[in-house]
Amino acid sequence: MRRLLYLLREAVGNVLTNRTTTLVAVATTAFTFACVGVFLLLYVNLKTMASSLEQDIQVMVYLQDDLTEQARIDIEQQLKIDRAIASLTFVSKERALADFQAQFPSESRLLQGLGHNPLPASFVITLAAESRSSDAMRRWANRTQLIPGISQVQYNQEWVEALAGIVRYIEVAAIIVGVILSAASVTIIANTIRLALYSRREEIEILGLIGASTTFIRVPYLLEGAALGLCGSALSLVILKGGFELFRHQIHSATRFLGVDALLTFFSFDMCLVLMLVGLFLGCAGSFLSLLRFGEGRA
Amino acid sequence: MIQLFHVSKYYDRRPALSDVTLEIEKGEFVLLMGPSGAGKSTLLKLLIGAERPEEGQILVQGRSLSKLRPSEIPVLRRKVGVVLQDFRLLPKKTVFENVSLPLLVQGASTTEIRRKVAEALRAVGLDHKKDLFPPGLSTGEQQRICIARAIVNGPIMLLADEPTGNLDPDLTSEIIELFKSINARGTTIIVATHDPHVLARVNRRVITLDHGKVVSREQGAS
Repeated sequence: MRRLLYLLREAVGNVLTNRTTTLVAVATTAFTFACVGVFLLLYVNLKTMASSLEQDIQVMVYLQDDLTEQARIDIEQQLKIDRAIASLTFVSKERALADFQAQFPSESRLLQGLGHNPLPASFVITLAAESRSSDAMRRWANRTQLIPGISQVQYNQEWVEALAGIVRYIEVAAIIVGVILSAASVTIIANTIRLALYSRREEIEILGLIGASTTFIRVPYLLEGAALGLCGSALSLVILKGGFELFRHQIHSATRFLGVDALLTFFSFDMCLVLMLVGLFLGCAGSFLSLLRFGEGRA
Repeated sequence: MIQLFHVSKYYDRRPALSDVTLEIEKGEFVLLMGPSGAGKSTLLKLLIGAERPEEGQILVQGRSLSKLRPSEIPVLRRKVGVVLQDFRLLPKKTVFENVSLPLLVQGASTTEIRRKVAEALRAVGLDHKKDLFPPGLSTGEQQRICIARAIVNGPIMLLADEPTGNLDPDLTSEIIELFKSINARGTTIIVATHDPHVLARVNRRVITLDHGKVVSREQGAS
């Protein structure tokens, strides 16, 4: 217990002794984490928007014109037992024509000129949540296309794939920027700890001389690194939250983005905890690197 | 208790110790004499595992230091008290805190720490200064605090490297008397020095080193 108190006191002592360095390290780490956080926020929000838009995407399954009523019922039964489908509505040729005329009254004369109804009967399908990704949608469409009596399966493939592509790019960018800036944070913390180690190298030598184990010598510096990482990540979340609320307010004020602000989300409480733990871990890693460089013999 | 068999140690291919063979019995008080660069400090460093010999073998209480794993070195050092010329006290910690460090790293209880630190400070005559900080003490007092720290956990041997290098002849006598009283309680003491005042006051076995070799072994009168 006394040893633990000593180690904690030493860690606090290290922080207080190098106040300016510690503050600079926490601030730099916070801004570095905040940069990673911006990408993460962008990713989380685009992902949320993408899944919200995917919910609105409907797939049109067009039927062949010469299909008998029994064949149509068979296809409907087959689609109803498909787990990838959340709901389906049948649109007859007559209903399709009526909808077209209602939506495009000026163009309805063109169809009248043809003498017959050229619009096919169709099923309007909403896919289940797990089948709404662009890959799953493509696989499902290719499979459904093969059902006899179906002439075409159509969905807004380009739009879905473009959105999925953007989300993928943001994901990759977030990972790359995250890795680079995390390495920068580790280096910043490592340098702060190295300064602390050099300012206390005599004490470290004395501890080694009187039989202190490597763990005993290292723990205060690991705790200091962990505290730096934790404070840095916590501060970065405060900065991000401030920036996020400001951005949301601006979006809310701009009428052309009406309703978009309601779609914007900040990190969940659990995600915040995870990010703080990542900061703590990176802080420990920075300390550990410095301790390794400082030398096995002394620390 | 301490045995060295044909021990050699080199720095940049130059021998700091060359083919040294010697034996020190339990409870002995030995002076390691010789000019600067003779190999005295190197020998002490070998005995606390801070350096490893390139050749030969060192046994402390029958255990070969060459075979110690890095994790076992702190365990060895807890049995050895070390006193250095520059004291190596922590200026921002009180006398009590400085002396209690070896006990703290071993995980001693608060009661044990209080008792043993009080005993060690009494032994060096500075129990009334336990709340002061080292920079507020005289050089002689700082060296005595350093000795208290070295004996606080009851080491089997005490190694002193030029312990009187910063002290005047009167303070040197005080420190030597302190070493003698510690030795009288059974602790093996090895003092590395080139100070003739120490030689004049100790009158025990003297091992003289020169250029890393043992050049003479003289048995003291007592």
